[in-house]
Amino acid sequence: MAPAWPGQRGKGGRYGRGTETSTSAKRTSAGKRQYFRKKKVCKFCVEKMDFIDYKRADILSQFVQERGKILPRRMTGVCARHQRGLGVAIKRARNIALLPFSGSAAGTQAPRVVAPGAHGAHAPAVAAHPAPAPAPAAEAPKG
Amino acid sequence: MEERYYDLIFIARPATPEEEIKKILGVVEHTCAEKGGKVEKTEQWGTRKLAYRVAKHREGIYVHQEIRTTHGELIAELERRLRVQDAVIKYQTVRLDEDLKRQKKLSLKREKRAARRPRRTAAPPPAAAPEQAAATS
Repeated sequence: MAPAWPGQRGKGGRYGRGTETSTSAKRTSAGKRQYFRKKKVCKFCVEKMDFIDYKRADILSQFVQERGKILPRRMTGVCARHQRGLGVAIKRARNIALLPFSGSAAGTQAPRVVAPGAHGAHAPAVAAHPAPAPAPAAEAPKG
Repeated sequence: MEERYYDLIFIARPATPEEEIKKILGVVEHTCAEKGGKVEKTEQWGTRKLAYRVAKHREGIYVHQEIRTTHGELIAELERRLRVQDAVIKYQTVRLDEDLKRQKKLSLKREKRAARRPRRTAAPPPAAAPEQAAATS
């Protein structure tokens, strides 16, 4: 692959380095670096997961960069069909604030399912939240 | 008309009392009963940290419901009513019946294919994966 800028090492995506792949460099006789990746299988194909649930932020956050961007297929090894479903699921999760549009997804957790009625999950710290919620009358109702 | 299957998730403000949430759930139920739909499942995920600030809040109470209906207009009505509620800061409805149909079809196809092939061992999943990868569907 022709280097995009002089001194480039690797394919250039994320400046030639992936988060999860291990690349090994081999010098050919011509002195140019050749990169190959170890074989990656599509995680969803292996687990036979056809429906990628947008509610599982813990699974989805594996396929998202530190900054919140979706990782390309060549980094994660996902097959084309599942990459499409993954994109849809990540965008749905972003809409419902399970994943960030930009920024670290470090705070994401799997949902703790609580049956309605047994809802005692309110931590007292929530009430003492420093950001005061503006009075509902002050802001215009939605719609 | 075919029955449609929707996922509804809404987020309520973090300090919303339980009765408020019950009231909102009641509104959803009521709308479904009016327009001909059924709430299949209700899940409360409790207070969860939001990935970004919504209405100046960093946390919210997530509620997830599954709705089955044959009338598509129910969803527009539901969203209209949720928008009016002060406690609800975000909602999302997703239509899932086509996806689930496709998933079921694929899994049936996979099972049929696996049953047709002579199994040498007890077929652990990694052994089935190369077979599946070879037969590109």
